[in-house]
Amino acid sequence: MNEKINEKVSVVTVFDREKRTVTPRKIKWQGRLYTIEKIGYHHKVKQGKKLLHIFSVCNNSLAFKLEFDTETLFWTLTEVSDGLAS
Amino acid sequence: MDLPLNRNEPRVMHIDMNSCFATAEQQANPLLRGKPVAVAAYTTGNGCVVAPSVEAKRYGIRVGMNVREARFLCRDIIVLPPDPPKYRDIHLKFSRLFREYSPDVFPKSIDEAVLDFTSMPLQNKSLEDVGSQIKKRIKKEIGDWITVSVGISTNRFLSKLAASLKKPDGLETVTWQNLENVYRQVTLVDLCGINTRYQARLNAHGIFTPLDFLKSPRDLLVKQVFRSIVGHYWYLRLRGWEIDAVEFGRKSFGQSYALGQFTSDKKELARLLMKLTEKMGRRLRRHGYTASGIHVSVIYTDYTHWHQGATFSTEMYTTGELFKKVMLVFNRRPNQAKKVAKLAVSCFGLAEKKFVQEELFRTEKTRQRDATDAADKINDRFGEFVITPALMLGMDKLVLDRIAFGGVKELEDLYTNSITT
Repeated sequence: MNEKINEKVSVVTVFDREKRTVTPRKIKWQGRLYTIEKIGYHHKVKQGKKLLHIFSVCNNSLAFKLEFDTETLFWTLTEVSDGLAS
Repeated sequence: MDLPLNRNEPRVMHIDMNSCFATAEQQANPLLRGKPVAVAAYTTGNGCVVAPSVEAKRYGIRVGMNVREARFLCRDIIVLPPDPPKYRDIHLKFSRLFREYSPDVFPKSIDEAVLDFTSMPLQNKSLEDVGSQIKKRIKKEIGDWITVSVGISTNRFLSKLAASLKKPDGLETVTWQNLENVYRQVTLVDLCGINTRYQARLNAHGIFTPLDFLKSPRDLLVKQVFRSIVGHYWYLRLRGWEIDAVEFGRKSFGQSYALGQFTSDKKELARLLMKLTEKMGRRLRRHGYTASGIHVSVIYTDYTHWHQGATFSTEMYTTGELFKKVMLVFNRRPNQAKKVAKLAVSCFGLAEKKFVQEELFRTEKTRQRDATDAADKINDRFGEFVITPALMLGMDKLVLDRIAFGGVKELEDLYTNSITT
């Protein structure tokens, strides 16, 4: 089931200088810490001149859609899914 | 005139992403992989399935079914709404990758492209090697779950047919040597461009298989079956000669919307038309055109259809100018009490704005156009619909972002707005 969330969350990221990548590794949402095991897809979206980085990530039971706002540098959790039919 | 099969080396490659939108969702969310997934215009029962995953197709779920029917076939199907920015991003990454191999890349839709290698050397590599390499790089650089079918032949028609022979993840070549064998494996409607009506027309002239079609004399196709030059084009196409390498110029801008809640309410329909017109107007202005014609099309809940177009003496540029004419045409429809299921507007008679005669004195019209340009700049800076016509208040979530089927022209907007990396 997919659920829209739209909440600001804390995210631990790793910047890899050699691969030139930034990867979210952990999410703290509603007091719980989730470790990210896989990055499914990363893409960018423009809202006017504002650039958002969208990360679709998951652990073995939940998938998260994270939005990084390059203007405010805030992370927003926009969607959570358990990968099952509703 | 008897023309032989094209015996040239196959140099045209067609690449087709398998189950595009559903695969993109499975790529983004690994928990969906290996499960039946359908991307639908709406996730409610009447929503139309626009992309079933490979797994969903095994249950018989097809494009065009509604969600209710899909659920009958597979109770556990995962139905998702479309996420156009994600699909556009994949398309752009595809496009960038393909351009590393050939300067002649022609996107055919959001999930299909033709790469033409006729004008370049391959440096001791076969086109099959290039196809395999592209497939590997897509998996490594774009997404490990993404598969494409590659078809190689001497023209676009046969390379598309080749790509459809093995799905998913195929790589097939059609040459003059195996052409007849390939035609034996498929039916008339498997040929791109032959629908059931054309099939009936061909059947009426004793053509029942693609092989019959290939063996038909040119005169039969031109003078009896198609009764036009189209017959000649088919005669060439079937033999592997290129006839479809034609890029058409832009002639119109249009937007359409399938209503989630059917209505005949005049105010509600006017608001929807305003939003469609604003989206259409934004695209018209972004490309630097004015329009002199408006076309409105309506599909009712009883599947009847009404449409009308009109050309005007003054050219239109602002959303206000376009909307007035849209309403003028829309109000001409009969049976205004009938509930509307789908609305479409388009503008035509395009002229480049720079060639429009400037006025010596600043009139109300020039002031309005300047105001529109200013509003467009604000929307470019802060996002779509930050400034909207008053009629559109409170409807920012209606008329959702969509990707047109086979919308090659829509892709032009995509390239002009793409984020460079």
